[in-house]
Amino acid sequence: MPAPPADVITLTIDGQPVSVPKGTNVLEAAKLLGIDISAFCYHPGLPIVAQCRQCLVSVEKNPKLQPSCQQVCGEGMVVHTADKQSTLARQQQLEFTLLNHPIDCPICDKAGECTLQKLYFEHDNHDSRVDVPKVHKAKVVDLGPTIVLDQERCILCSRCIRACDHTSGQHQLEFAQRGDHEILTTAPGEQLDNPYTLNTVDVCPVGALTAKDFRFTMRAWELDATPSVCNGCATGCNVEIHHKNGRAWRLVPRHNAKVNDYWMCDEGRFTYHDLREERLAAAIVDGLPAGWDRAIKAAADRLAVGRTAGQFAVALSALHCNEDNFALAKLAQSWGITHVYIAAKPQVPARADGRLRVADINPNLNGVKAIALALGLTTKPIYELDGNIRGLLALGDVLPGLDPGKLKDLEYVALAAHERGPVPHAKVALPVSDWAEVSGTVTNKDGFVQRMHAAFGPPGQALPAWEAIVRLAGATGSKLAWTHPREVFKDMVAAVPAWSSLVWARDARPLSLRFAGSRG
Amino acid sequence: MSQKVLDALKAAHGSAVDRTVTAHTDDIAWIKRDQLLAVATWLKTDPAMAFDAPVFCTAIDWIDWKPLNQPPSAAWSEDKPRFSVAYQLRSSKHRHRVRIEVELPEADPRCASLSGLWPAFNWQERETFDMYGIRFEGHPDLRRIYMYEEFVGHPLRKDYPKDKRQPLVRRDDLPINPIKVETEFK
Amino acid sequence: MATDAHSLKQLVLGRKDVQDLSDNEHELPPDLMTVNMGPSHPAMHGTVRIVLTVDGEKVVKSDVQPGYLHRCFEKESEYATYTQVFPYTDRLNYVSPMINNCGWAMAVEKLMGLTHEIPKRAEYIRVIVSEVSRMTDHLTCVGASAMELGAFGPFLFFLKAREWLYELLETISGARLTHSYIRVGGVNKDLPEELPAKLSHTLDQIEKVMVEVEGLLNNNKIFRDRMAGIGALSREDAIGPTQPVAIARACGVDYDVRKDYPYSVYPELEFDVPVGTTGDCLDRYLVRIEELKQCIRILRQCLKQIPDGPVVVADPRVTLPPKTDTYNTIESMIRHFKHIVDGIKVPAGEAYTFVEGGNGELGFYIVADGTGRPYKAYCRSPSFVHLSTAGQLIHGHMIADIVPIFGMINMIGGECDK
Repeated sequence: MPAPPADVITLTIDGQPVSVPKGTNVLEAAKLLGIDISAFCYHPGLPIVAQCRQCLVSVEKNPKLQPSCQQVCGEGMVVHTADKQSTLARQQQLEFTLLNHPIDCPICDKAGECTLQKLYFEHDNHDSRVDVPKVHKAKVVDLGPTIVLDQERCILCSRCIRACDHTSGQHQLEFAQRGDHEILTTAPGEQLDNPYTLNTVDVCPVGALTAKDFRFTMRAWELDATPSVCNGCATGCNVEIHHKNGRAWRLVPRHNAKVNDYWMCDEGRFTYHDLREERLAAAIVDGLPAGWDRAIKAAADRLAVGRTAGQFAVALSALHCNEDNFALAKLAQSWGITHVYIAAKPQVPARADGRLRVADINPNLNGVKAIALALGLTTKPIYELDGNIRGLLALGDVLPGLDPGKLKDLEYVALAAHERGPVPHAKVALPVSDWAEVSGTVTNKDGFVQRMHAAFGPPGQALPAWEAIVRLAGATGSKLAWTHPREVFKDMVAAVPAWSSLVWARDARPLSLRFAGSRG
Repeated sequence: MSQKVLDALKAAHGSAVDRTVTAHTDDIAWIKRDQLLAVATWLKTDPAMAFDAPVFCTAIDWIDWKPLNQPPSAAWSEDKPRFSVAYQLRSSKHRHRVRIEVELPEADPRCASLSGLWPAFNWQERETFDMYGIRFEGHPDLRRIYMYEEFVGHPLRKDYPKDKRQPLVRRDDLPINPIKVETEFK
Repeated sequence: MATDAHSLKQLVLGRKDVQDLSDNEHELPPDLMTVNMGPSHPAMHGTVRIVLTVDGEKVVKSDVQPGYLHRCFEKESEYATYTQVFPYTDRLNYVSPMINNCGWAMAVEKLMGLTHEIPKRAEYIRVIVSEVSRMTDHLTCVGASAMELGAFGPFLFFLKAREWLYELLETISGARLTHSYIRVGGVNKDLPEELPAKLSHTLDQIEKVMVEVEGLLNNNKIFRDRMAGIGALSREDAIGPTQPVAIARACGVDYDVRKDYPYSVYPELEFDVPVGTTGDCLDRYLVRIEELKQCIRILRQCLKQIPDGPVVVADPRVTLPPKTDTYNTIESMIRHFKHIVDGIKVPAGEAYTFVEGGNGELGFYIVADGTGRPYKAYCRSPSFVHLSTAGQLIHGHMIADIVPIFGMINMIGGECDK
C-alpha cells in the first residue's frame, strides 16, 4: 500500500468517532475501533477489487450499501456496520457463499484457521435452507510443484490471483467458466511455478489451495505460533514458526512493512525441514559421544595447542545469531586474538530477483562484521585460512573452502547444530541450538537487528552456542559470566555503537492458534 | 445489584477509588493500592457496609490480555499494570456483595494484606502469592500453600509455560530428609 | 505420688515438677513432639498433611498443608474451551460433581447474558441432579466419619444408599462419578423416561436407611462422646473466617446461597435451612442429616413440578446442531466444528457466580477475553476455606479428636487442592 498522506480524516462508525489518515478505507478504520467487518477478498497487502461483497456497510446519505474495503473514509462520514440492512446483507452473502461449499471441514487442512468458518460463525450462524444437490467440481487439481487446488472449496475471491501477480510478477492463475461453474485454474499448459507460490496458500481464505508440504500433516488448531526471523537469506523475512511438541511444522510470513510486508519466498518456508536434519544431539569427542563436562575439558585441551604460539584460529559464523558470535568474539579476545575468520555460505547471484530473494544466503553476515569491527578484530573469510594454523575453534557447520584433508590435520573444535560438512572431521564437536531454538538477534542486509524467539528447546543435550562458549571459557581460564541471552545482548549493544539504542524485547510466549481468535 | 455500595464507597473514599462498574450483577470498585487497607477497614467496620464475610481473594495476570472485538488499545502493553488483585466481600447483615480490585505494576507486585481484617484471607492470600507471586505486606505467614517450597516461579502467571516440568528434587541442605553423602564408605 | 488431676495438668502444660513424678510418668516425653499426620493417613483422605506439635496427646500447634492433590484446574482451564472445563469441574468436588457442573455453566451463562434464557425444564433437571449430588456428598461425609469413629454399620448403609443415587445419575448422564452432564445453556440430554419413578422409589428407600442410621448414631454413647463439644466454633468466628455450610450452620449462621441469593428454580421450591446451636461436631452431623431430609423434600417437589419442554436454550451461539444436520449441511458442520474446536465465544468481561455446593458457597470467577477459552478461571472452593479453619478447630484437642473434626469439615481433596 502506498504511504497515506499526512492529512487526518475523522468519521463516525457505529456511533464511535475515529480519526484515520486520508486514504484509509472504512474497513481498516473500523479495525481501529475493534469492529471486525467481515471480508473475503480484501487483503491489506493486495489491490482492492471489492468482488466478494461480504464487507457491505451502510453509509449515511448513500442509498446503496457500500463495500467498506473500497469505500475511502471521508470527513464527517457516518457509517453503520451493525444496522439491519448491512447485517442482513452479510448473512445473505454468507448463505450464498456456502451454497455449493462441500462438507469438508473434518478433512480440510484449513479447518480451524478458515475465514469462511469464522465469518459464518460470527456473522450468520443460521441453519441451511438448501435442499438441492450441490454443484460438484474437481477435488484434486495439481497446480504445480508446490500446490494442490480443490475447486469445490474455492469461493472465488481472487486473492490468490492478485497475490501471485503481486509477489512474483507472473500472472499464472486465472478464473475460467461462469456462474456456479466458475473455477480457478492455470492457463492451458501452464503451471503455478515461481519462487513465491505459497503466498497464495496463505491468503486463501478457505482450504482451496493447500501446500503439498503441509497438507495432511498437522491440524492447524493444534499448532502454537512463535515469532521469529527466517534464516534462509540476508533479507530476514519476519516469520511465525508454527510448531507442536518441539517440532516445527511450517513457517508463515509475519507482517513487517519495512522488511517483507506480508510475504516470503518458498525456499525460506522450507528451511524448517533442516531443523531436524542430521542434528548433533550430544557432544562428540574423537568420534564417540561424550557428556558436556568431558567434552568441554577435551575441547579446552585441544585448543591449548597453538593458542599461545599464534597458530590458532577462531571462526565466527554468519549463520548464527549476534549473541553467539559476540560471545565467541569476546572469548577470542580474552585469549589475545586480534584476527578472526568469518565462515559464510558463498553468494548465489542467481537468487537475487529484486523482490525478497537476495544473493547473500547468510542470515547474519552484517551482524558478524559489525561485531568484529566494534571489538577491533580484523576479519578474513575462512577460505583464506593461514597455512601455519594448527588449532581451530569454529562456530557453525559451514567452512567453505577448507578441504577435509586439511581439517583432519587441525585440532578442530566445532560448535555446531548439525553433524555434516566439516563437523564429522572435528576432534571435538559441541552440540548447539539451531535458529528456531534460540533467543537472539540477527542483522539483515539493511542493518535491521531483528529478534528471534525460541520456539522450542534444542534436541538432546544441545545448548545455545553462547552458553557452550561460556562453559568453554570457564575451562580455558577465561571469564565470561553470562547466564541469559539478555545479558549477552546488553553487553553487545554497549560494545557496538550502531546498536546502542536497541533494547531486548520480552520473550514472546507461544500463541495457541486454536484460541488466536482472529485467525482466518 | 446494589449500586448503593459503590455510591457510598465513592462518597466516603472518593480519592481512593479509581473507577467503579456494575457488570453482570457484580459490583466492582478499583481501589488505589496505597489506600486499600483504609478502604477495606471502612468496608468492614462501617455499619451501613458491614462486610463481615470474606468470599475469595485472587489475582489476574494481564500480560496476555488482548480482547477480541475491541480496539487494539484495549490490549495489555508495557505501560499498563500487569497484575490485579481481587477481593470479593459479602455482608451477612445487608446481604450485599462487592468486589474490590487493586492494580499492581509488574516490577513491584506488592499490596497490603487483608488477612488482619478477615482471617480467612490468610490462606487465600498465600494461594495468590503461591500462584502469582503477589507479595502481601503485613501477612503473618506468607508461604507457598499448594506448591512445595523449593518450587521455582509462580505457575498461574501467564509467562509460566503450561507444559513446564519441575520435578521435586531432594536437596541435602534442608533439615528434613538430609541426603547422606557416604564418601568414606568404600 | 502425683496422680491427681492437678498434677497431670502440670505434666501436660508445664515441666516445673517433673522430678516429683513417678518412674512410670517419667516415660512421657518431657518435650513437645512434632508428628506428621498424613498425607498418607486414612483419616486425611490421602491428600492433606498436618504437621502437629503435640504435648503428650494434646495438639498445641499445627500446620495444615494442602496441595497433595493439586492438578492445576485453573491453569488447565485457561487452555481449554469453556465446554472442555466441565470434565475438570467434575474432578473438583468429586462426590458432588453435578453441582460443580452447574456452577460452571451458570458462570459462563452469566457472562453471556443467558441466565434468564435457560428453559424451565433444564433448570428443574439441574436442581434435581444438584440435590441428588448434595445427598451423595452428605451420605459420604456422614458415613465415612462414622466409620472413622468405629461405626462401620452406618458407613455400609450410607454407601449403599449413595450407590443407588450414583446409579440414578449414571442412567441420567452415562457416567457413575464424572458426569459432565450439564452444558452451557441447559443440560446435555433429557432425563430418561423412567427416572421419576426410580428416583421416587430410591428416596423412599433412603428415608428408611436414614431411620436406621439415625437410630444407630444419634444416641450412641461412643459417637456422641467423640462428637459433642469437639471442634466448636463461635457464630462470629464462623461468619468471618469461614462461612461454609455445615460448619457455619452448625454455629447458627443461617446462610444458604439457595435462600439468600436465590438462583435457578429454588424460589419455587419449599425447603428449610437447618441451623445448629453449639457449633461442634455433633451439630455439624445433625445439620447434615437434616439437610439430607431437606434434599429429599426438594426432590419430591421437583418431580411434581417439573414441566415439559426443551432442555437446552435454542441459541446457536451455545448449542450444538443436531448430528444429522452436522453431517449433511455445511452450515451445521461449521457450527459444530467451531463449537468443538474454538469453543463458545464468551464476550469480554469478568463475573463471579456462586451456587450452594455440597460444602458451601462454590463459586467460579471468570475473566473472559472474547475468545473460546477463559482468560482466567478461579474456583472459590469451599473445602479450601474450611480447611483453613482446621488449625483453629483442632487446637487444644487430643490427636484422636482430629479425626471427627477433619471428617466433619468434609474436606474434599479435589476441590480443596484444585
